[in-house]
Amino acid sequence: MLRFDNEKVHDPVTSQVILEEKVLLNIMSAYVNQQGGEILIEVAPADAERVAKAFRSKGVTVDVPKLIEKDDKCTSCGACVSLCPMTALGFGAGKKVELDEARCNGVTCGLCVDACPVRAIRLLG
Amino acid sequence: MCSSGAVVNVGHSDPPIKIQNAWINDVPVTHPGAAVDLFIGATLMSETKGMEYGGGHVIEDLIRGKSVDLRATAYGTDCYPRTEVETTITKDDLNQFILLNFRNGYQRYNCAVNGRDETIYTYMGKLLPKYRNATYSGAGEIAPLLNDPDYETIGLGTRIFLCGSQGYVIGEGTQHSPSAGLGTLMVKGDAKKMDAEFIRGATFTGYGTTLYVGLGIPIPLLNIGLAKKAAVRDEEILTDIIDYGIPRRTRPPIRRVSYRELKSGKIEVKGKEVRVSSLSSLEKAQRICEELAGWIRAGDFTLTLPVERMPNVGTAKPMRQTKGSAAFVDSIVHEAVTCSEDEAIEAIAKRLVTRNVNHIVVVDAAGKLTGIVTSWDITKATANGARTLSDIIVRRVYTALPNEPVEVVSKRLAQHNISALPVVDGVQKVLGIVTSEDVAKLVGGDCGG
Repeated sequence: MLRFDNEKVHDPVTSQVILEEKVLLNIMSAYVNQQGGEILIEVAPADAERVAKAFRSKGVTVDVPKLIEKDDKCTSCGACVSLCPMTALGFGAGKKVELDEARCNGVTCGLCVDACPVRAIRLLG
Repeated sequence: MCSSGAVVNVGHSDPPIKIQNAWINDVPVTHPGAAVDLFIGATLMSETKGMEYGGGHVIEDLIRGKSVDLRATAYGTDCYPRTEVETTITKDDLNQFILLNFRNGYQRYNCAVNGRDETIYTYMGKLLPKYRNATYSGAGEIAPLLNDPDYETIGLGTRIFLCGSQGYVIGEGTQHSPSAGLGTLMVKGDAKKMDAEFIRGATFTGYGTTLYVGLGIPIPLLNIGLAKKAAVRDEEILTDIIDYGIPRRTRPPIRRVSYRELKSGKIEVKGKEVRVSSLSSLEKAQRICEELAGWIRAGDFTLTLPVERMPNVGTAKPMRQTKGSAAFVDSIVHEAVTCSEDEAIEAIAKRLVTRNVNHIVVVDAAGKLTGIVTSWDITKATANGARTLSDIIVRRVYTALPNEPVEVVSKRLAQHNISALPVVDGVQKVLGIVTSEDVAKLVGGDCGG
């Protein structure tokens, strides 16, 4: 998630980063006006750190949204598992439901959140 | 399982009250008996928090030892003069707190998918459109009734593991259908002794609240026959893949599937590989097996023979409907005015007027749906100077099936804020159209624009 303040929003920051870093960005959602803006982008995991650094150096606030699973409430029922398009949620040892944070798309997806019967999954960021 | 609940006796107040309406933590609880006996149903929902908190959560909170707020009203009698009471209580204040589940331990259950083009929220969880995921329930080869399919050791009086304590089978569960391989159990246990690890209030979004119940049944291998039956494997246990997108009682199964396939995490549905996962915790099921085995080995749990056997044949009947059966789309569908994609906008405008309709369904040579055009689209086209029909056709068309209940169609119209749905068959061939006016005549209320 990229957040632009009312000054930065007038600069072509996103285009600059794409050109300078020679990276492919996928814009998932964007909300921009004179006061500022929020753009949700998707990048290949290998490029993520480099792209975040590039945006930050240009004065853009970068959040990496992730899903957090609260283990103490999770009963490992599995209601979330089939919904996850990234196979970030799956059964681990002893049939425990595990979340692979590196694979999770976070707020760009969130399909599992309202499917959890015990509300053990929350979106952060 | 939704058909779960608890009987509580809250003791007499002074002056005494004959409770008429009662709420615990704002969840309405029922009063099926005398003055201060209440039944907490798992599916009853909070009047303030809605689906996020229900009877199942109340039962879990009580078992956890939490305080809950009881509020009750009454009409007042000579012997029970009090008309309202409010108090805060824990399980220790209750005379009895008995978990009483009238349908538990389903032998096996369906595997659910959704063939519709919208996500649906069901008691089988969240089902993505166009068969993009699948869910199932039941523990397969370790489910009690699959290990004793002839009800030789499981019957009235069988002592069981119930939510971390000892409970009993008290007979067949409601909708018990042993002939269909869908047996169920009625169980009870002292909830004061239960362990919160094995019980959980739950919310199925868009459906409601329910209760996860940890249940384990010891099956003594009294003879070779029983040993053989208890050795059942996931690959031998079959169930149906059912399209929950069909809002009817009878849904034709898509195909049979084994629990082995279901537990593999992937199944094939209509030629596609689909991710599948359970709704009931296999981890907890395994833990219950180990826990119960531990009790038996330690001599803390003794096996019982049933006092009475349960029926091992029979199936549940559907409801006998004596008054005004529900209306279905095929009873209100009428002929759709159609056009083909290469027609001129003027011709369509004329047809709207001469046929006195607001919707024209666009079809191909085979009569299959390709889009829809409304009078509003034509108005917009005129204002914006659109030249050809293909510029203004709406391609994303919501449709109805002839066997869908009118209530479902009414909801779809309102949800997408539209005023008509082409009625199609399984291969998108247009059979007719239903409009919000047709639906309103039957259902009444707001059906969208």
